[in-house]
Amino acid sequence: MFIRLEPSSAVPVYRQIVDQIKYQVAAGMLRSGDRLPSVRELARRLPVNQNTVLKAYELLTHEGLLSRRQGDGTFVTNTPSVLKKSERLRKVSATLAQAAAQAVHFEISADELHQLLNEEINRVAAGGRSDE
Amino acid sequence: MNNSPTPIHVENLRKNFGRKQVLRGVTMDVPAGSIFGFLGLNGAGKTTLIRILLGLLRPDAGQCLVEGIDPLIDAIGVRTRVGYMAENQTMYGWMRVGQLIEWVSRFYPSWDSALAASLRDQMRLDADEKVGALSKGQTSRLALLLALAHRPQTVILDDPTLGLDPIARRDLLRDVIGQLQDRGATVFFSSHLLYEIEPICDRVAILHEGRIIQCAPVDALRDQVKRIVVTPMDAARLPELPGLLDVQAQDGQWSLTVNDVGAARHALAPVSRSEPTVMDLNLDEIFEAYVIGRREAPHA
Repeated sequence: MFIRLEPSSAVPVYRQIVDQIKYQVAAGMLRSGDRLPSVRELARRLPVNQNTVLKAYELLTHEGLLSRRQGDGTFVTNTPSVLKKSERLRKVSATLAQAAAQAVHFEISADELHQLLNEEINRVAAGGRSDE
Repeated sequence: MNNSPTPIHVENLRKNFGRKQVLRGVTMDVPAGSIFGFLGLNGAGKTTLIRILLGLLRPDAGQCLVEGIDPLIDAIGVRTRVGYMAENQTMYGWMRVGQLIEWVSRFYPSWDSALAASLRDQMRLDADEKVGALSKGQTSRLALLLALAHRPQTVILDDPTLGLDPIARRDLLRDVIGQLQDRGATVFFSSHLLYEIEPICDRVAILHEGRIIQCAPVDALRDQVKRIVVTPMDAARLPELPGLLDVQAQDGQWSLTVNDVGAARHALAPVSRSEPTVMDLNLDEIFEAYVIGRREAPHA
C-alpha cells in the first residue's frame, strides 16, 4: 500500500490517509482480504504519529471498510459500504463541488469536465492499475 | 494508575537577559508518552526554556520539574535521566564516531551498549569515521544516538531538523516515531516550522512574546481554527468577536481567522448580512494567524 502525504495541505493528515485508502479500495488497488501494514509500521514509514494512523484505521473500521482482528492485523473487508446511500451521495457531492469549482476557475467547459469524469470512471472500473 | 511524575512541568517561568524579557511567565505540562511540539519563531525563547529545563540556565522566577526533579536542585539528576539533543550540536571533531560514543557512555549509568551499537547500524554511521568529517545529517543522527542510548523516558530535542536536507529530516522524524514513540517515551520537540513537525506531534504549544499563546492537540487546532469570509460589517463589533486572530480585507470581503469557529459563527449570526463561508487552514496559516495576526478592522 502506497500512501503519499501532502505536508502543507489544509486537509488533516489522518483525513489524507483515510481518503487514499478509500480511493485505493475503490480503484481495486486494495482488494477485500488484503492485509494493511500495522499501525506502527505505517507510522514509521510515512513518518507520522502512531495515533494519527490509529485514528485513520479506526475511522475506516467504523465505516466498515476495514476490519481489525486483535493480534492478527487490519484487513480490507468485503462489504462494499455500510454507509447509507444518502451519506455516500453527500460525500461524493462534496468532492465533486471542489472539482466543479476548480474547473470553472481554470476555464474547463462542462462538456470537458463530463468527459474527464467519464474517463476517470472507466479507469477505476478497469482496476485503476493503468498508471502503475 | 501509576504515580510517575509528569515528564515536564513548567510553572510561571520568567527569564530576562538585561532589559529583554525573554520568558514572561511560561506555564505548561507535557503529558507522559506524548510527542509534544514546542513552536515559536526564531528568537522566541525556545532554547532559553530548554536550557532552564536542563539546569544549564537559572530562571529569574517560577519553577520547573523534569520527571519530578527540580533542575535548580539536581541538574545532574535531570541530565542523566533525560535524552537531550542541543540545537546545532557541536561535538569533538577530532574524535572518531566509536570513540565519541564510548566517551559519552561513561556519563550515563543506564547506558545500553547493545542499543548504541544497533542504532549506529540502523543510522548507517561508521565507527571509524572522524566526527568532524560527518555530514550535517550524519552529525544529527549521531547526536540523536547519543541522546537515546541510555534509554531515557523523556527526550528533549532542540530544533533537531534545523539545516537538514529533506531526506535527513524525514529519517530523523522516522527515528523519533520508530525508536521513541514505539516504546512509550515522551518527546519534547522544538521547531520553528509547524508543518514539518505536525505529522509526528500529538500536541503543540506556541511560544510567542514570552508566553504560551496556545497549547492544544493538533487535531483540535485543525478543527477549531478556521477562516471565515464575510461581507464587511460594523468595525465596532469586531472586538466582540470571540477568539479573533486575524482580519484581512480582500475584494470587498473580510476574512476573519478565529480560534473557535463554533463560537465565532454563533456571534456572527446576528450581525452578518450573508451566510459566511468557512475555510480550512493548513498549520502554517494557523501558526501565522497566532503570531502575526492583525486584530483591528482593516482600512478598506
